[in-house]
Amino acid sequence: MKSTAGQKILHIFVWIFLIGTSFFVLYPLVYVASAAFSPQQNIAALNIIPFGDGLTLKNFVYLFENTDFPIWFKNTLIISVATTVSTVFVCALSAYIFSRFRFTFKKTMMMSLLVLQIFPSFVGMIAIYVILLRINGLNTLWGLVLVYLAGNIPYNTWLVKSYLDTIPRSLDEAARIDGASHFLIFRSIVLPVAKPIIVFLSITSFTAPWMDFIFPKLVLRSSKVQTVALGLFGFVTDKKNMFATFASGSLLIAVPFIIFFVITQKMLITSLGGGAVKE
Amino acid sequence: MSTTLNRDGSSKNRVLFTSILFMGLSHILYFKQYVKGILYAITEVVGLCLIPFFANGIYNLITLGEPQPNVPVKLRDNSIFMLIDGIMILTVIAVFLIVYVMSVRSSLTEYRDFCRNGLKNKAQNSVKSIAGNAFPAIGMAPAVLLILFFVVVPLVFSACVAFTNYSAPDHVTPNNTVDWVGFDNFVTMFGGEATWTSAFGRVAIWTLVWGVLATLTCYVGGLIMAVVLNESKIKIKPVFRSIFILPYAVPAVVSMLVWKNLLNGSFGIVNRTLMAADIISGPIPWLSDVWICRAVCVLVNLWAGFSYFMLLIMGNMTAISQDIYEAAKIDGASRFYTFRKITIPLILYQTTPLIIMSFTHNINNFGAIYFLTGGAPKVADSTLTSAGGTDILVTWIYQLTMTLMKYNYASVLAVVIFVVLTPFAIFTFRNTKSYKEGEL
Repeated sequence: MKSTAGQKILHIFVWIFLIGTSFFVLYPLVYVASAAFSPQQNIAALNIIPFGDGLTLKNFVYLFENTDFPIWFKNTLIISVATTVSTVFVCALSAYIFSRFRFTFKKTMMMSLLVLQIFPSFVGMIAIYVILLRINGLNTLWGLVLVYLAGNIPYNTWLVKSYLDTIPRSLDEAARIDGASHFLIFRSIVLPVAKPIIVFLSITSFTAPWMDFIFPKLVLRSSKVQTVALGLFGFVTDKKNMFATFASGSLLIAVPFIIFFVITQKMLITSLGGGAVKE
Repeated sequence: MSTTLNRDGSSKNRVLFTSILFMGLSHILYFKQYVKGILYAITEVVGLCLIPFFANGIYNLITLGEPQPNVPVKLRDNSIFMLIDGIMILTVIAVFLIVYVMSVRSSLTEYRDFCRNGLKNKAQNSVKSIAGNAFPAIGMAPAVLLILFFVVVPLVFSACVAFTNYSAPDHVTPNNTVDWVGFDNFVTMFGGEATWTSAFGRVAIWTLVWGVLATLTCYVGGLIMAVVLNESKIKIKPVFRSIFILPYAVPAVVSMLVWKNLLNGSFGIVNRTLMAADIISGPIPWLSDVWICRAVCVLVNLWAGFSYFMLLIMGNMTAISQDIYEAAKIDGASRFYTFRKITIPLILYQTTPLIIMSFTHNINNFGAIYFLTGGAPKVADSTLTSAGGTDILVTWIYQLTMTLMKYNYASVLAVVIFVVLTPFAIFTFRNTKSYKEGEL
């Protein structure tokens, strides 16, 4: 293709635009990395030139030796895995039933799910606190998993149900005529076919506990059962500013996530475009 | 009473009556379905046995306990426990009634079946076949129970609290009891007390403005990035795409807290850099001037939110069939023309529902405000109402609950959000494919 002067200017403009945006995107992240390796603890003392204070690993050593960071990490991992597994199972099963069966109150239930999913679940946090108190779920990891699971159900059931609706019924009806039980059909036919949406569901329910703050703060009281988000937040409150420790902890959490998302970006794009959009 | 039924449909009323009389009775008497019938009957017996317990709970729900200043704190009536227990009991009763309706409907279905095919044989009434028929009910049970007790009960609870005086300092359990006060809190919030009303008006308007701006900036930002990346012929596109995914990959708590520290007025990196470069002479009050702070919220949210829309729109662009482009090319349409007339309209059409969803998400976007500004800066009424200049309704609810312990006002706000957002949910529902096709 012949490139005219106009196209060349456009080309240069696009380059400037992309580089400018990249600068905006990378700006805070560079300082997280810089602070994590910096010998200066407080942000006020941090050099304005990234990595200008020299490099040290003492923040990471401090994180592992003087704080409960490893325990927070383990707790969060347990919570996310348990939430993911239970969410996938419960949501996929209910979505399968919504998609394939006719039963009393079906329409009412679908409608309630949709109304419930737009409501932030922490609005009822006092009630959740009392209910957990009543079933001895306070200050335990499983109590938090229950709260997350219940909060995940409304939206995700809709999501999976919409996906299952696009899969031809003939597939599972053939198995039903052959005498397979409903649960067998669900496990061996529906689940494998619904893999794309299940993967999407797993990713979203796995990542959420790493970022959530309100419910861990409500449910988990002692440092030994806290999650990463809660612990990190504690480093940069109004009373103290341990920005370097905070940054090194954040880096340890963010790097695995970034690697994962960058590697799976192709799949993310297709599953977001194909799965989530088709209601 | 005869246990044989007519097959011409004339015994319908008798079946209906028997099944209403006692759960499962018609299954046992007429259809010889002993397992199913006995299970239903046991449910009813358990329900009947619990009536005194239920009645006591509902009585407590109505009175919310009596003040007992002479009794030790531990033994006093706890109104909040009574309120929650009462709501849970009402939920259990609702489940019980639903099972009742299901049992009646089931016996009517059985009768219709009986009129057509006669009495079922043993194999069809076996435990295995019943388990198969009950699959929808059993499979839905975990989801329904969890939603009822961890989503519905808390929501009903907070709706109820809006009609009580549950607030510090005089009405907090376990020292004091809480009472029903009707619409008093709503009156205070919507006109009764000038401070609260003006704070509510300010926060509500900012919440709406924030919701619209946050959604539009992220959507337009994502659209521009997706279009530029998809249409430009730059070789290292994947590198840029990976960079632009980063804000989506970094946990929001982390990125918001980092921005908060970078933008700090006195010691933040941004101000120090600008001053070192001699661009400004004094520090810019990023997070302490109300209007600058609001603009910062929208900008930082754009930083955090545009990636998601970029991914979504790119996904949509790849999903558009190549045939359309081929056809347009054959007809002699230019690249720009096809882009304007095919790509953009299709993307807009497909992502409109997502704009609405994203709007409801942003209205409730706790993290973007709380971690960045914590609701600050303080304004005139902040000491009394705890609502700062950038607080949106949900962060204000959080402050009212955690700092001021004004649970009653927090619940009024929750009811407001519910009333405002429910139409959006119903709109989304009516736009779904399965609803339009009349399947539901």
